[in-house]
Amino acid sequence: MASNVVAQAAVFALRRKIAKIEGTLPEKLVAAGVAILHPSGSAWAEAGASGFLHTGVARLDNVLGGGVPAAALTEIHGGEMRDAGAVTGFALALASLSRNREPDREKRFLVLWIGMSQAFAETGFPHAPGLGALTGLAPDEIIIAQAPKLTDALWIAEEAARLRELSAVFLEIHGNPVRLDLTATRRLHRRAQLAGRPVFLLRQAARAEPTAAPLRLVVSPAPATARSTLTGPLADTIGCPAFTVTVSKSRTALPGQFILEWNPHERAFQERQPENSRPVVSAPAVRPDISPAAGAVVAFKSARPAAAVAHQPSRQQHPAHRGARRTG
Amino acid sequence: MLISHRDNNTQRIAALDEQAEALRLKRGMGIADARAMYPSVEVVEAEPAADRSLLESLADWCDRYTPLVAIEGADGLFLDISGCAHLFGGERPMLDDVLARLFQQGFHARAGLASTPGAAWAAARFLGAGIVAPGKEDQLLAPLPLTALRIEPAVRVSLESVGLRTAGAVMSAPRAPLARRFGKQLLIRLDQARGQIEEAISPRLPVPALSVERQPVEPIVLTEDIKALTGLLAETLRKDLERRGEGARILQLTLFRVDGAVCRIVIGTSRPMREPSLIGRLFQEKLAAIESDIDAGYGFELVRLSALAVADFEMEQADLAGGAEGNDEALAVFADRVRARLGEQAVLKPVAVESHIPERSIVMVPFAEVSERNDRERGPVPGPADRPLRLFRHPEPVEVAATEVPEGPPLHFRWRRVLHKVARSEGPERIAPEWWHEGKDMPTRDYFRVEDGDGRRYWLYRQGLYGASQEAPRWFMHGIFA
Repeated sequence: MASNVVAQAAVFALRRKIAKIEGTLPEKLVAAGVAILHPSGSAWAEAGASGFLHTGVARLDNVLGGGVPAAALTEIHGGEMRDAGAVTGFALALASLSRNREPDREKRFLVLWIGMSQAFAETGFPHAPGLGALTGLAPDEIIIAQAPKLTDALWIAEEAARLRELSAVFLEIHGNPVRLDLTATRRLHRRAQLAGRPVFLLRQAARAEPTAAPLRLVVSPAPATARSTLTGPLADTIGCPAFTVTVSKSRTALPGQFILEWNPHERAFQERQPENSRPVVSAPAVRPDISPAAGAVVAFKSARPAAAVAHQPSRQQHPAHRGARRTG
Repeated sequence: MLISHRDNNTQRIAALDEQAEALRLKRGMGIADARAMYPSVEVVEAEPAADRSLLESLADWCDRYTPLVAIEGADGLFLDISGCAHLFGGERPMLDDVLARLFQQGFHARAGLASTPGAAWAAARFLGAGIVAPGKEDQLLAPLPLTALRIEPAVRVSLESVGLRTAGAVMSAPRAPLARRFGKQLLIRLDQARGQIEEAISPRLPVPALSVERQPVEPIVLTEDIKALTGLLAETLRKDLERRGEGARILQLTLFRVDGAVCRIVIGTSRPMREPSLIGRLFQEKLAAIESDIDAGYGFELVRLSALAVADFEMEQADLAGGAEGNDEALAVFADRVRARLGEQAVLKPVAVESHIPERSIVMVPFAEVSERNDRERGPVPGPADRPLRLFRHPEPVEVAATEVPEGPPLHFRWRRVLHKVARSEGPERIAPEWWHEGKDMPTRDYFRVEDGDGRRYWLYRQGLYGASQEAPRWFMHGIFA
């Protein structure tokens, strides 16, 4: 048994060495289904077994190489000012995922929200009951810092990113300011790594530009489904919040777009299944070909003359384009 | 040179210089008369507000001698130097020092030192740089005119009309008839001056609980020097705080500039603090924030650190690993630093309040005050689940052209000049005004959750009901959902 463990550790060490030589990222190893040992840095050890916040959506986790990094700067973009609600909601939902993986449940969960005063006036001030309804945060688990200028906001964020008392830090920035460059984001990212805490950079109405954040997600709202009841969906209601999430930059460099639904009661993401989405294109009125019946086709001897059959192609001879149409 | 002021619709002389006095002009004389006598006199309008601010800055400057400085009338200062004189080498050297420094600043000052404020007042005005030994107040007052007793002019005039022209005469007169005829105030003033009744002066500024100061050999100019000196002062302050078992909650750094200007820097802390390095860091943030506002000029000659408010300091034992887990000390220090740099409203915490009006249900309280309340036990806010993630502090009016049914949600609305088409909606949720706060006339609000074609979810409300009053109901945007 012991020798087995030792052998496994040796294999892991070798794999890591090979990965390092090949320049493969740890995310890619995870994506390939290989468990890896993390460098025994304190931050990584504290970030949990994997160092990722698992979103719970298998496809998204695979694309991201395990999930959203738990000790890093993560950029969450919104295309327009009006999308502030979706960006905020998605980021908060991600942060509240980390509460589930906290080994010590007694420890306080505390989030810090940094924004600029005028921006709060434009997109609305974070409302504690709303935050509570979405993610279960109590008012005393929220701290809000408002800065008059961008430099002050960045300073607060840098100071806060190194604090282990905070479970997550949100920095909300509007547009593409010059001061938020590679250096500034690199400083934030490094401190987040050292503290082992996620820092979310919420960028409203911004276009993508090079930053040090390993992950950039573009979030836009998606129409919600109706509220579901025991008897089925309730017409003309607005159910769980939904988001369209596009992976714009990640270390695995895999593209992807997902429609995620956040269930505030279970506090879990769920990818929207095709059957409970509204059809994008209306169904055709006439369907010329019917999908083939299941089972093997057995040739019967025709009662009619063979000549009549000749101009009809057999099933095996069906052209490829008229084959069974994939659903979904 | 004359200073004029308007009194009963006449320009009169309020103050005059020595040359004018030599011309036998007097206070209270009409400016027209003075001009008629000497057409060449220069007349300047009095500025009481400027005089007052000058006196206040002088009072600030006098903080170097004692924390108890009070402004007396329009042209006087009281300094309570009980227990301070020995720091300056005794009473006489202290008095000389005050007068010399004021003279260097260009003030012509007169000072008196006595064991009662009334006697000191009289000594300053009628003796000039005199020290009245304890028990000698009667001797001082006896030959002085009645003005030395700080009494109302009307009382003085009526006393003089009965032949009592000096304080000594009033003192030797029988008390009961005096009190009956001229009021209680006269005898109170007399007794206060003679030390028979205690008279307290009311200081302008709160007296700090603890205060340490240091006088550098040369005036300091550089911010780094101020920081270093603050660290040294904090080190000294810690010993006093430890002895008292307390920590500072509000700290003030007072910088006395060579030319008399005084600069005060105040920081607050979330929890009692005595660690010099932390105090130094807080002042560092504050100095960084207001660096451009501080004008060092020729340098600061005296730096004082005072603890304006103190609180009991709870000693906590750190665990063996050295890290103090579970307490929020790092967080409190972080909040204090942000507060020192960006002001009181920089770090806020939401606190639930008993109100069902959405914008009133939460108040934002500065971080330091929340930890004072220490009500951490409360769980999530009970209440309706459908509250928006972001709430506008001031609901924004939206234009609504038509609704399907008068009481129903809108079909389209225009918010911030963009037309939104409502795809789906939920509601209404009626929120009535708090009649116990704002009367019964406030219109009720009907809230709707609406979703536009792209999936953005908004919280709209209609203020008022159709047909309830003359004016049509108005629509507002109050928040956005995730």
